Amino acid sequence: MMRITQRAISLTSLQGLNANLSAVNRLQEQLTSGKKISRPSDSPTGTNAAMLTRADLASTDQQARNISDATTFLDSADTALQNMMTQTQRIRDLTVQALNTGALSSESQGAIAAEVRQLRESLLGQANTVVQGRPIFGGVTAGRTAYDAAGGYVGVGGTATVPVYPVTRQVSDVEQVRVDVTGPEAFGPNGSNLFDVVGDIATHVAAGDATSLTADLDALDAAFSRMSDAVADLGARQARIEKAGTINQSRQLSLTARQTDVEDIDMPKTIMELNMQKTGYQAALQATAQALQPTLLDFLR
Amino acid sequence: MSTFSGLNAATSALFAQQRGLDVTGQNIANVNTDGYSRQRAELQSVGGSTVPAVFSVGDKVGGGVSADTVIRIRDRFLEGRAQNEHAAAASLTVTQDALGQIEDAFREPGDTGLQSQLDTMWAGWADLAKETDQQGSGARAQVLERTRTVVDSLHTTDRTLDQQWQQTRDSLGTLVADVNAAATSIADLNQAIKRGLSGGLPVNELADRRDALVMKLSEQVGATSALRDDGTLTVSVPGATLVDGTSTIQLTLQGAATSATVAGDPPRIVTSPGGTQIRPSGTAEGDLVTMTDLIPRFRAALDGIAAQLAGQVNPLHQAGFDASGAAGGPLFVPSTGAGPITAKNIQVAVTDPGKLAAAGLSSTATGGAVSSDRLNAGAIYQLRLDPAGADATYRKMIVGLGVEASVATSNLKTQSVISTQVDASRESVSGVSIDEEMTNMLKYQHAYAAAAKMVSAIDQTLQTLIGMVG
Repeated sequence: MMRITQRAISLTSLQGLNANLSAVNRLQEQLTSGKKISRPSDSPTGTNAAMLTRADLASTDQQARNISDATTFLDSADTALQNMMTQTQRIRDLTVQALNTGALSSESQGAIAAEVRQLRESLLGQANTVVQGRPIFGGVTAGRTAYDAAGGYVGVGGTATVPVYPVTRQVSDVEQVRVDVTGPEAFGPNGSNLFDVVGDIATHVAAGDATSLTADLDALDAAFSRMSDAVADLGARQARIEKAGTINQSRQLSLTARQTDVEDIDMPKTIMELNMQKTGYQAALQATAQALQPTLLDFLR
Repeated sequence: MSTFSGLNAATSALFAQQRGLDVTGQNIANVNTDGYSRQRAELQSVGGSTVPAVFSVGDKVGGGVSADTVIRIRDRFLEGRAQNEHAAAASLTVTQDALGQIEDAFREPGDTGLQSQLDTMWAGWADLAKETDQQGSGARAQVLERTRTVVDSLHTTDRTLDQQWQQTRDSLGTLVADVNAAATSIADLNQAIKRGLSGGLPVNELADRRDALVMKLSEQVGATSALRDDGTLTVSVPGATLVDGTSTIQLTLQGAATSATVAGDPPRIVTSPGGTQIRPSGTAEGDLVTMTDLIPRFRAALDGIAAQLAGQVNPLHQAGFDASGAAGGPLFVPSTGAGPITAKNIQVAVTDPGKLAAAGLSSTATGGAVSSDRLNAGAIYQLRLDPAGADATYRKMIVGLGVEASVATSNLKTQSVISTQVDASRESVSGVSIDEEMTNMLKYQHAYAAAAKMVSAIDQTLQTLIGMVG
């Protein structure tokens, strides 16, 4: 039979109390920090999941910013192109009006030519639209303009010598969406671009050159359809971005939920555990107090 | 038959019970003394002649009782086991503690860990990838700052681990000095006990003190002890005998004094004189493992991550073009100028934000113009997804660390239970029980009273006889 001594009892009691108290301490730590995992050894696999989820959340946040940026870019290009199409339509009307040579006086021809020139300036201005410091139709140019005052393309990409280098945004880990349209793609190559055609129209209207104007009208129609193609393309890309945005949002939600799941404590469960542990601790304290008090000494007279 | 033999027997009983009470008093006094073993007065009845011979026959009843020896109640086997288990527990405690400190150095998972700083740095590249203003907004400076933060974090973690190594070495140095002092004390006690035994003096308390010292040595270096016939204790550690009778051998800590040279010259404990390397267990073993395995291993892993980061980013950065259209240089270089990149020497080579190679197109490709594309920044942003990249390797390392630390924790828990059980068994043999001492006290008290009564009974008997004669 094992000999039990007072000291043995007090030692084992102390050990039991310590174990209980450290469990209470761990739960209290979890409750105050709100985290299940405060160091890798708390749960190695949980740590991995937590780190992966954090990295994924950082990526998704970044991609959400990319998406909103891409939307701004595409919207600006779209608005610019829509406005330019309206103005091109007006130029076409004026050209048709000027073609009716018999009905117009030379003053009216002059007035039409002047308006067409004004519209050309306005078109050039729109083509040089700058979003966040970058001309949206300028490709990858480092400069501030896509077209010079003469209507020549000065951007980078989309010319005969330099191919188109798309400006893209990363909208998910694997998907990139192009957000720009180069000038030559939207307005035609240098020498026969929209601004050249409109310039020609102004000259021909002033000169009353009906034959050339008829040819100009065809060129203008071609330019118009090129712009509407570009708008359609932009629209398709906007739809892609919107879809990517929706996916991004739901991914953010699920990742946040996952992070909470992996890292954060289950409040009711932890509180319950703490209460149970506290009850155990109190019982141990009471039992120790009861067991340590009496010795034979209490009963000897 | 002697007339007074009864009186003699009663007197010896009075003395013996008194001795018993004295020992009980000593036990009660030391009920809470650490390392005290309870003592017992060995009562021995004194009989007649043991060797029958012609002139030594008699019908004597016996000569009473003797209580010459007071023994220490202790189980040598249990003590031996306790020494081993305490050594194992001490070693595991150190390992678990060291791994805990390494975990602290990495600060994972959390917002201050390297992982989250890497995430922030990659996000900086993504911001640069969508930066549209060639003339320079904050995006370039932001990438540079965040890259520096990652580098600083690598430096800090590496330095923390290095400090931990240094502290471990210092504490092992102190421990070795402590072991030497304890060994000398044991030798002195051996001497005292040997003399005491030959002079017939009580040595129980000295032996208790010696056993406590041996237990301390077991925890520190895993010493074991063997008792010799002359009462001295031989204390040995694997590889050397620390205390042999009254002579001791000293230990010294040799090997690398800084973590830089640990690979070629690992720290070790050797005997002096002799220079024999000992294979300690206990705290010393844990410290040695920490210095030769744990810390160097995790520092090497961190170095690998720094090198991997540089190996991933540098080629891409060099393939790109900066804000002025010039080709990019390496982003990370060793501060030592040459040699492999480590967590300690990694530094950011670029100081001018404009020199960050964000563009992927040369001026040749763009027909002579400086390109404002951000293809390269975008490509660098995608590096974080590389399954063989620094991020993935780092996560793998942290998970490995977590597994190792949690295994160490559960090992220590198991070992603590074993040590506790052995301690309880020791206490059960050697501990003082107050209940027992109380019953002993009553026992001796009553026996003393009975012996006294015996004296007075014999006295009365003699009175009767003397009265008759008178």
